[in-house]
Amino acid sequence: MKICLTPKSLAGRTIFILLVGFALVQLLGLLIHTLNQINLERIEEERDIATRAAIIYRHIALADPQDRAALVAKEALPKGDTLTLNPFPPVLDTDYDLPLPARQILRASLFSYSIPPEIRPRGLLLMGTGIPTHIVISFGMPDDETTFFNRILPRNLPPLPPDLLPPPSAWLTLTSPMVPPAPWRSPGFASAFIVMTVLGAFMIFWAVRTLLIPVRTLALAAERLGRDVTNAPPLPETGPIEIVTAAIAFNTMAARIRRFVEDRTFLLTAIGHDLRTPITRLKLRAEYMEDDEQRTKMLADLDEMEAMVAATLAFGRDITTSEAITRLDLASLLRTILDDAADGAPDTAETLAYTGPDHLPIQARPLALKRALANLITNAQKYGDAARITLHPPAQGQTRIDIEDSGPGIPTTETESVFEPFHRLETSRNRETGGSGLGLSIARNIIRAHGGDITLTNLPERGLRVTVTLPV
Amino acid sequence: METLPHILVVDDDREIRDLLAKFLERQRLRVTTARDGKEARRAFANGHFQLVVLDLMLPGESGLDLARWFRAETKVPIIMLTAMGEETDRIIGLELGADDYVSKPFNPRELLARIRAVLRRTGDSEDRAAEHIKTYSFSGWELETARRRLADPNGVEVSITGGEYDLLVALLERPNRVLTRDMLLDLLRGRQAGPFDRAIDVAVSRLRRKLEDDGRNAQLIKTVRGGGYVLSTPVERR
Repeated sequence: MKICLTPKSLAGRTIFILLVGFALVQLLGLLIHTLNQINLERIEEERDIATRAAIIYRHIALADPQDRAALVAKEALPKGDTLTLNPFPPVLDTDYDLPLPARQILRASLFSYSIPPEIRPRGLLLMGTGIPTHIVISFGMPDDETTFFNRILPRNLPPLPPDLLPPPSAWLTLTSPMVPPAPWRSPGFASAFIVMTVLGAFMIFWAVRTLLIPVRTLALAAERLGRDVTNAPPLPETGPIEIVTAAIAFNTMAARIRRFVEDRTFLLTAIGHDLRTPITRLKLRAEYMEDDEQRTKMLADLDEMEAMVAATLAFGRDITTSEAITRLDLASLLRTILDDAADGAPDTAETLAYTGPDHLPIQARPLALKRALANLITNAQKYGDAARITLHPPAQGQTRIDIEDSGPGIPTTETESVFEPFHRLETSRNRETGGSGLGLSIARNIIRAHGGDITLTNLPERGLRVTVTLPV
Repeated sequence: METLPHILVVDDDREIRDLLAKFLERQRLRVTTARDGKEARRAFANGHFQLVVLDLMLPGESGLDLARWFRAETKVPIIMLTAMGEETDRIIGLELGADDYVSKPFNPRELLARIRAVLRRTGDSEDRAAEHIKTYSFSGWELETARRRLADPNGVEVSITGGEYDLLVALLERPNRVLTRDMLLDLLRGRQAGPFDRAIDVAVSRLRRKLEDDGRNAQLIKTVRGGGYVLSTPVERR
């Protein structure tokens, strides 16, 4: 199974990337600081040890050779240091060469502390041992003869080279442990680091959130425009340049869509209006027909024409008019539509049923919602031979209406396309069942403008279920 | 010679005017036609009309303005011809004081039925036509006539069918008076109410359910033994 580590939202991703980058930078900074600190501490300590060794050496070397052993034993030393006086230089199994800088520091420190030339060491060993690191400094002690030699030589001559002299008779060795470096020892450092990290992370969160609010606004506006082209409010054209540009582009696009829809609506409405007069005349003329049967049929044809024109007008108008929203009783609205349907076709009254609460107040546009639901119920009655309505009590701020029929249902591939204007199923494209192909489009436009939705599902046995959700 | 009811038809389409006049005259009505506001006023000044059929879509002066003028001048009942589905026109018209409306294209027989119904309603008393009621209030409920809007005591709109509306208005017009099924049938004939007593009973039971009036222990619309109904609550008209 693949685990998705990257967050889904743009804000999440941006924050994720910035936080990772920020953490890397912080870590790198920390590393540089630490390395630097370690180096500094080491130099400091080496200098420290070297100075200590020089002081001790001077002290011991100035004494008479026979008194030296006693002085070594008495020498006050820091914890961990050992001082020995042996006839031989120290031999270490793990000795390794100190790095050159360390040697230079030690040497410079030893000789920065003034040591009279006559007691210069006859040999100097600088060594380091393993872990924990110790620094071992061993001095070949001057004895009487070298002192003598050095004393009789003129001051401006360098001391005798050691190989001209017998090896030193004693070696003073100081072994001093290096305290392991602790770069984070200062308490201010840790808290500063934490405060910096938290502040940085907070800034990232805040900045990304703020910067990405317009993106969310844009998405919401697009969603609203999709649901209700006419009444969607324009995007505010404020903020950073890019956002203003996007908002202007979006508003221009919305205006173009709106104009397109309005033009189409105007065309439909104009045709509808112009057809009213001839249809009215024809209806009046039909009254002068002698043949009763033909007159009835003609009037039926005209009624059908009128219904189509009415549907076209309704389709056009739903997009443009904005009826006021009021509180209405959804249960009584459904019952009224069913009663009207039953009155229109009394022999089908038994196939119409309502189940649900007696009252359910919701916020809606009464005429529009009635038209939408009436379209759905009439469809069920006309194409499905029944309309069984179930009104479910509200849950999660939504109420659901199920309208079930006993008809043949619709092909699964058509459940979306039937909502397109003038789309009709092949089976209904004949005069008996008629229809303008606008009923479902109108219904969905209205329901969506209310913030709800319509879906179609075929029932397992037979029939179609139309599910309408509406916010309560 | 009995006086035939005199109707003024105002429509801008000559064919419709002529055809409608011919059709209504065949139904024993006297008809004068006018093509716009000017002609309508002139005709109105010269004759006594029992009813005006007024198309709201007129050239020049709008039908709504003309309706307003008629209301200001006279008490003559008005039936509006509205563009179908133009709810706003219809509501404004009814609020202005039109008595009924038929949406265009109309069925001539339906228009005739409406004309008859309005004539019958206004015929028995001259005053009734003048008194244009906009809202009925009863037991906390409100019925707005222009919008045909029924609201419960909480202000929630409760939808009713056309038949239920007519029945409710018939009852509200005559509170505390027993209305027999025959009287109700007669009052409601303008609508396509079924010709059977049963239709009235069905309409009453539906209306009771909408009004939350328990049928077995009805408080608002009471059943009268011997065949009738009575609205037993005070009605306030505005």
